[in-house]
Amino acid sequence: FRRSTMTLTDCYPSYADETHKIYRQKLEELTNLQCTCSTAISKQRKRLKDLRYSLSKCSKTCDEKELEVITDIKSQIKEKASVFFDMEAYLPKRNGLYLNLVLGNVNVTLLSNQAKFAYKDEYEKFKLYMTIILMFGAITCLFFLNYRVTDEIFNFLLVWYYCTLTIRESILMSNGSRIKGWWVSHHYVSTFLSGVMLTWPEGPMYQMFRSQFLAFSIYQSFVQFLQYYYQSGCLYRLRTLGERNQLDLTVEGFQSWMWRGLTFLLPFLFFGHFWQLYNSVTLFRLGGREDCKEWQVFMLALTFLVLFLGNSLTTLKVVHQKFQKNQEKLL
Amino acid sequence: NVHKMPQGLGVVLEEWKCLEEEYQQLLETHRLYRLKLEEISKLQKNCSSTISSQRSKLKEVSHLVKNKGSLEEDAKTLEEINEKIKTRPNSFFEMEAFLPNKNGLYLNLVLGNVNVTLLSKQSKFSYKDEYEKFKLCLTVILLLFSFICYFFTNYRFLDAILNFLLVWYYCTLTIRESILIANGSRIKGWWVFHHYISAFLSGVMLTWPDGDLYKTFRNQFLAYSLYQNLVQCLQCYYQSGCLYRLRALGERHNMDLTVEGFQSWMWKGLTFLLPFLFFGHFWQLFNSISLFSMSRLPDCKEWQVWMCGLCFLVLFMGNFFTTVAVVRHKVKSRNRKPKSL
Repeated sequence: FRRSTMTLTDCYPSYADETHKIYRQKLEELTNLQCTCSTAISKQRKRLKDLRYSLSKCSKTCDEKELEVITDIKSQIKEKASVFFDMEAYLPKRNGLYLNLVLGNVNVTLLSNQAKFAYKDEYEKFKLYMTIILMFGAITCLFFLNYRVTDEIFNFLLVWYYCTLTIRESILMSNGSRIKGWWVSHHYVSTFLSGVMLTWPEGPMYQMFRSQFLAFSIYQSFVQFLQYYYQSGCLYRLRTLGERNQLDLTVEGFQSWMWRGLTFLLPFLFFGHFWQLYNSVTLFRLGGREDCKEWQVFMLALTFLVLFLGNSLTTLKVVHQKFQKNQEKLL
Repeated sequence: NVHKMPQGLGVVLEEWKCLEEEYQQLLETHRLYRLKLEEISKLQKNCSSTISSQRSKLKEVSHLVKNKGSLEEDAKTLEEINEKIKTRPNSFFEMEAFLPNKNGLYLNLVLGNVNVTLLSKQSKFSYKDEYEKFKLCLTVILLLFSFICYFFTNYRFLDAILNFLLVWYYCTLTIRESILIANGSRIKGWWVFHHYISAFLSGVMLTWPDGDLYKTFRNQFLAYSLYQNLVQCLQCYYQSGCLYRLRALGERHNMDLTVEGFQSWMWKGLTFLLPFLFFGHFWQLFNSISLFSMSRLPDCKEWQVWMCGLCFLVLFMGNFFTTVAVVRHKVKSRNRKPKSL
């Protein structure tokens, strides 16, 4: 009894407290280093910008040798920009507008490669599981339950899923992931779409569109599931070959690296895009009818059109680039 | 001009060399930084594991103490040890507020595994400050919106936007409060839970289709929203001032927050808020009763009616009983005072 109480009263103040004191001290040193790095990077950025401007002015009136030097310096400046981006992925920074609104000023930078990778992995798993759940939800709503309540729950789940995706993707971008424009925006558009579906009151118009929408949801979830499954395998292979960045993500579309083995996905994707166009056309027709009083019909038609345009144009661009590369190879 | 150019380029090249040197310095600093990061994360793991092993040892000792009963000579030591057993968990809690830890279920679902611990007192405090400002700002926006919906417009479309805003507001509050709790804030049960219920209520209101019953309830709901937002504004405003004063006097913890109810420290200057709060609670009860009586009408086909009725009832009971508990506690401690004198 005495021995264990001695352990308690003796070890605790000296060991845990001491370790914690050292920890807090080192933490302060770390924060100072972080500040130094951040200010140094922003100073460099600003001065490089001024330098580039002066170089452009100089290049207007100088000879060939000097022009070479200038071009060389300009390309080095470009490289530095990407080095700074990678460095900042390990420094705390202010959140963008969206994350600031939702989370506030908490820092979301993960400070080690392993943590970033684990976070990305977790994001992929989340997408996979939720896609499966949504697929089963849509199947249940279409074939088994025909109540507005279950439709509402399904739509709320969609809204929540897309909102959560946007939050997690903002965090990933803060951590150095290079997700491009449309693949992030289209989650915001999908959130809006599901939200409008939520408010659509029960009625003949709704009943007419319901089955089409649920069937589309099932197909889309199924294709997304295929994509994530095959994309993760492909990305894993390419990463070990060193050909892709650690933080590249699976997306709901076709990207340039997918030509190596995932070309079979293309027709499925295009079919999904054209189904979105078909939804849009159906809704426009419904909106033109006399007995249609709901604003949701027109709004949803517009949103599906935007989704179709964004998806198909982005995918076509990737195909176009591939054709161009092939042409160049042949020449 | 031609004579000036070589000079211009020369100056630029000088600047470039200078920048290159600084750049190399920056690379070196960043390398040191990454090394320190690794050092810190090892220290963090060390601290966390020490705390958890201390916790389990503490449990063992408290078991031993219970079993040993009371031997007279050890009575004093026993008392000391009991004191320490009670206060240790508090210091663990304080220490852990500066160490990264795994997120709870809710934050894990929404954010994933990103660490939300703010690692300095100052950043915790400014995060809390920001949370208060966010509440105040959004409450004012909701107030104006309810005002417009009540007095000026009568479109289901705008009501839907208001309800979406409410759902988003309450969800965001729950996220921020989870982060605050992970950072050492001691917000108790009902005041967090009632945000989840309010989010659910607003969601159900959202799905309520336009119809006679909706129109009948709409004005009552908007008036209630107006009143509630006004009272919350008052609360946020006066509570922050009061909390600031009490913190400066050292009587309250730094991470205490303003809440939408009455708390024990509010007796010092905020008692005038109580009647406003009780009136709001009874309005919730009134909403609940109206909705339940509406659901008994023959032409009521919407499930939203009784669901909203139930939500308002839960809100009323939770709010009312929590507030009454605070009042009772105060009355009891007042009754005890004359005896101790």
